[in-house]
Amino acid sequence: MKKKLPRHLKFGLIALGVGFAVTLGLFVDVIGRIQSIVKEKKEVAEDAFAPPKAPLYNQTDPPMPVKIFFPGSEAGDLILPAEDQTIFRSAELANRAKQVLQKVLEGPKTPGLFPSIPKDTKLLEVFIDDAGVAYVDFSDPLSANHPGGMLNEQATVYSIVNSLTYNLPEIRQVKILVGGAEKETLAGHLLLLPLEMDLSITNVKKPPQEQVAHAN
Amino acid sequence: MKRSATVLVVAILAVGLSYRQSFSAADTDFPIYFENSTLALKSQTVDKTTYLPLVDIVKHLNLAYTDATAALTFTIQGQNSRLALTPGSAFISLNDRPILLQNPIRHDSGQWLVPLDFLSQGLSRVSGIEFRYRPGDLRVFAGGANPAELAMNAQALGSTTRLTLRTGSRIDVEVQRETAQHRAVLLLKGKPIDPGRERLDYKDRLVQSIAFEDSDGVARIVVGTTDDVRDIRITAAEENRVFFADFIGETVTEAAPAETAAPAVAAKPDAAAPNTNVRVIVIDAGHGGIDSGAVNAATLEKDLTLAIARRLRAALQSRLGASVVLTRDSDVALTSEARTEVANNNQAGLFVSLHVGYSPNKTDAGSSIFVMKADFNSGPANQPPGQRLFLPWYMAYRINQKASEGLALQLQQDLNQTLPGWKFPLRSGPVGVLASVTMPAVAIEFGNLNSDVSVQTLVDPVFQTKVATTIAAAIEKFVEARAGARSQ
Repeated sequence: MKKKLPRHLKFGLIALGVGFAVTLGLFVDVIGRIQSIVKEKKEVAEDAFAPPKAPLYNQTDPPMPVKIFFPGSEAGDLILPAEDQTIFRSAELANRAKQVLQKVLEGPKTPGLFPSIPKDTKLLEVFIDDAGVAYVDFSDPLSANHPGGMLNEQATVYSIVNSLTYNLPEIRQVKILVGGAEKETLAGHLLLLPLEMDLSITNVKKPPQEQVAHAN
Repeated sequence: MKRSATVLVVAILAVGLSYRQSFSAADTDFPIYFENSTLALKSQTVDKTTYLPLVDIVKHLNLAYTDATAALTFTIQGQNSRLALTPGSAFISLNDRPILLQNPIRHDSGQWLVPLDFLSQGLSRVSGIEFRYRPGDLRVFAGGANPAELAMNAQALGSTTRLTLRTGSRIDVEVQRETAQHRAVLLLKGKPIDPGRERLDYKDRLVQSIAFEDSDGVARIVVGTTDDVRDIRITAAEENRVFFADFIGETVTEAAPAETAAPAVAAKPDAAAPNTNVRVIVIDAGHGGIDSGAVNAATLEKDLTLAIARRLRAALQSRLGASVVLTRDSDVALTSEARTEVANNNQAGLFVSLHVGYSPNKTDAGSSIFVMKADFNSGPANQPPGQRLFLPWYMAYRINQKASEGLALQLQQDLNQTLPGWKFPLRSGPVGVLASVTMPAVAIEFGNLNSDVSVQTLVDPVFQTKVATTIAAAIEKFVEARAGARSQ
């Protein structure tokens, strides 16, 4: 009754079985490798966003007067007056930039001036390249919580751009990132390309240390 | 037995496949444009390569040739050069020096067939005529043939679908409607045409397909239409370098004044109303859809901008008789790019973006008129403009910077005058919607949504109409001043 399998089919099946086992083994191995690579990458990525272990300045760093730009009104118009503040002249440019941005995030002390950054916004990272472009990365609320208005958006953007470029002449352009990514605009109006200092809507007239900036 | 049967089947399949591949010759028409004549050829596709019949070309060029079929060589005699071809070989010999083509010469059923690169590699050297083609193109331009480059664009404008044709030089366009075949043919006359694309991926309620077609040497655009198309109108602009082909659906009542001002005569240079060089004005209602813009408990920026935009459209149509296109006529979200696209694709003469302000200070007036920042992004970290091969799109505004400032000034004057208590300071910034437009453009921001007093005024229909008529009047003055300056 029982039909015997022909010999060549038997060999074929065995060969297939062996092939399948080998392939499965390789497959499991490859999957394992990929998983370990992804894991490693994740660890590296998390490291990059870890809070700085070193403080932004040393106790020996001398104080440095800076002007921080905040929205305020003049004769019923929104402008961007500057407020005098002090940071510390740390050796690293990025640390000085972070201190300036911290002041921007903290908001103004002078009555009549308004915070320029929407609430819940955090500074994620600052990177300055050789060409003098500062890439400043804020958390999502910078865009999501922005109340809008073209002029008001200009005030937010140039509060950041002017505060950095005015006080740190090494920074020539500022590129604002939101949540680690490029965004076309914050609230639908102003292009977030690398932007230069624009003092036309401020009460400050001349950039300081112009000679220094050019000598560098 | 079985095994040999399988082998046989596989062998037949393989042979069949290879046979199919090498002889999948399909006859299509293929034109060569010369300076004063056009040669329409039957091309064959073999091994995915386009082949042209050699004898037809050589005869058209009046070149001496010998076709030694027995010896299987073909020779072409130029003024002081001789070209010899043998079938099956990718080598051709010019004055006994070999030249390697990408594909072999063919000799099928008594006909000599040459691949396209034979024209530029071989034939141009004996004939002295230059042959130009791009890989994948369905036509060749030869010698002094100077084709007009064609750019096509289609867009739905309410009940009309507008096909915009732009060419580098003057042409004439004639429309032939073939209702029975559900298509319209736009004949492009006066110059050979080099289309950037063979077809446009566009389809809507009125237009089913748009394809360029010139296989018989007559350039035309074939538009597949639906039964909903009532009428087709062609309007020429920019001295017959731009044509608007409007496929009109059900009769439009709102746009009626626009049509009387721009008579739809085919191929007549600029037949617009004499007092205006601005044929199309694009009004951009800021924000929309999930993007509400600035927010107040009583109203949203997106609703106010749309309300004012609609009133402004009515005011402009009755005053200027220009076509007015809104970037959005409903509550939809659009990117800045999409808004500028509407203006650029419609060859608009003016672009006005409407916004409502918001100031953290409740007592601020808030209004402004924005133009693009003049020296935007040309700083030290960028290449100097002279060293740039291409300008990025966001610098398109530069062409019209002066005109945009002039328009802003006129708007400021008129708005300050008719709206007492309101002031509109001129400002500039890297405004997204103003960056990539190729016409004079401004953005107007009204009031302060953080102020309840301001909101009460803004939602008032009487105020909105007043704003619209004032802007329309300012635009009219600006357009007339420009037309006057141009005619002098």
